Amino acid sequence: MPRRFGAYGGAYVPETLVPALQELEAAWRTSRRDLRFRAELSRWSHTLGGRPTPLYFAENLTRRGRGAEIWFKREDLLHGGAHKFNNALGQGLLARRMGKRRLIAETGAGQHGVATAMIGAALGLPTEVYMGSRDMERQAPNVQRMRLLGTEVHPVTSGSQTLKDAINEALRDWITNVRTTHYVLGSAVGPHPFPSMVCDFQSVIGRELRDQSRAQWGELPDLAVACVGGGSNAIGTFHPLLRTPVRLLGVEAGGRGPGVGASSLVHGSPGILHGAFSYVLQDAEGQVSDTESISAGLDYAGVGPEHAMLRDSGRVRYISVRDDQALSAFHWVAEDEGILPALEPAHALYAAVRAAARLSRRKRVVVTLSGRGDKDLEVVLRHDARSAR
Amino acid sequence: MPEVLADALKSNRRERRGSLLVYLMVDSSRRSDVRPLVRACREAGATGIELGFPFSDPIADGPVLQAAASRALAHGTGWQDLLEGLRQVSRELPVAVMTYANPPFHHGLPEACKDIAQAGGSALIVPDLALEESGPWRVAARRAGLALVQMGSPATSRARVRALSAASSGFLYLVSRFGTTGRGRRAPGNELRSLVTASHQARPELPVLIGFGVRTVADLALIRATGADGVIVGSAVEEVLSHSAHSDHLYRFLRPLARGLGSTAAG
Repeated sequence: MPRRFGAYGGAYVPETLVPALQELEAAWRTSRRDLRFRAELSRWSHTLGGRPTPLYFAENLTRRGRGAEIWFKREDLLHGGAHKFNNALGQGLLARRMGKRRLIAETGAGQHGVATAMIGAALGLPTEVYMGSRDMERQAPNVQRMRLLGTEVHPVTSGSQTLKDAINEALRDWITNVRTTHYVLGSAVGPHPFPSMVCDFQSVIGRELRDQSRAQWGELPDLAVACVGGGSNAIGTFHPLLRTPVRLLGVEAGGRGPGVGASSLVHGSPGILHGAFSYVLQDAEGQVSDTESISAGLDYAGVGPEHAMLRDSGRVRYISVRDDQALSAFHWVAEDEGILPALEPAHALYAAVRAAARLSRRKRVVVTLSGRGDKDLEVVLRHDARSAR
Repeated sequence: MPEVLADALKSNRRERRGSLLVYLMVDSSRRSDVRPLVRACREAGATGIELGFPFSDPIADGPVLQAAASRALAHGTGWQDLLEGLRQVSRELPVAVMTYANPPFHHGLPEACKDIAQAGGSALIVPDLALEESGPWRVAARRAGLALVQMGSPATSRARVRALSAASSGFLYLVSRFGTTGRGRRAPGNELRSLVTASHQARPELPVLIGFGVRTVADLALIRATGADGVIVGSAVEEVLSHSAHSDHLYRFLRPLARGLGSTAAG
């Protein structure tokens, strides 16, 4: 399990967290090789989560693109409505093994908070979630879901009141309660071992995608596309494909454009945020910038350190898609396929349709549909009303 | 001036006097007040100043210092304000700079360390710099003539405290409890005592200062009982200053603490 991805990664944390991170790394090293743990993980993934998720041919959207075939990896069908379940389940089982009595999590769009709330309830572990108060407003249905699942949701009013600030507050809780509490970090970010461990738990996406595409067409897709906030669904999609010829495209949030939005890989520079050395949106003084994106789940100034390495090496190409483009893709997929995608993967869907249009009809593009869009209806309707005016 | 702070702490330790470091955050709107404030610290009996540089995401800080950092950043406080503050403060008392890892990293470690040393800083404290990541920082600090202070906490094992003490220069900063800066419940005295002892055994000449949640004379009794060489007072000072930035108030707050530690008024 690498501590560094090239120059990136590491664990820049207060001393109080170092022993806990070492304990977590040791527990994960043992558990990932333990057949009983793996059987437990795969049983829960199937019976509670609904894995494997299907690979779906988006025939109508393909016609819209007039190019390569577009396929969806349907993580939106996973329990809770997003890929976040994979990681929350894995970390929840690990926390129980480690004898932790309480779970905490941060959440942006609320999907990771909902996933952790579900796992906390299923495993009998009291759960508390930190969420930026601005995100609580724009993702209100998920706040209600968490509360119904028995989780306490703490509004975070500092800073930009979004994901970055929720992570700060969860880290502060963890520093205070580290002996009894496991912090279920929701993306492939943060100090080692989180980026590697979250990648392990999310790589089920890419492994299934690989096996399903071989079973369906006898070969791998030509291009895989995923959205990148912290980058957990993207790293889960890409990681099992890194040593294949499949081209990989990561899509960040461009906000209203043409500014930086929340695109740390496209517009940021190397820096240290939330315990990791990676790309960060920051000012000339090294202060972390406030971000803006229509999608709360991508609205983050940092990114997982493995993505930083893949960006520099050129193995993955990263681009930025604006709010209005993501909204267009939301409507295309809703009307063409009868699927309401979350605004996060709507960014990837836009990029996938554009990329497919430039490829021949014999090629295949797979896009990870990382979550469903029920949580976003209010945001979408409000934007539609505004643009109709 | 790397030795200034270390020497002051060491000489207190030899003479069995407790040391007192006072945390002040750099804030461009307070620039003209800094000199009188630091003079009040010196007259009250403080050994040195921990000059905090604000960061947008201070994960080790509680509400009081978070608010102070947001205010300072909203006032446009930047690296040049830190250096100007250092030049002012170091004329009165030895200074350690407290900054999260990203700002100095962003400036370039060698340049940042050189800037701080040239402006009169003696030491660098980086709360999110774990020992495992500190190698390049130690090199840069040493080349610039800055001490790099490592932090221990109640979560730290005795074996790890020995490693932290071996790597630390200037002093060892021992966090008094599980939690962030400001109010909260302290770890039991005997736990802290065993860490202080382990550090003193590993590096007899290295002072150990305890910080986080130190605010009253009553707090000092416990801290002296751990065998530590002194304390760092931060959030409590910020609370005093947020009520009134007048140096007399600061003096009146610090004086009993310094007396309790047996510090004598310098100068």
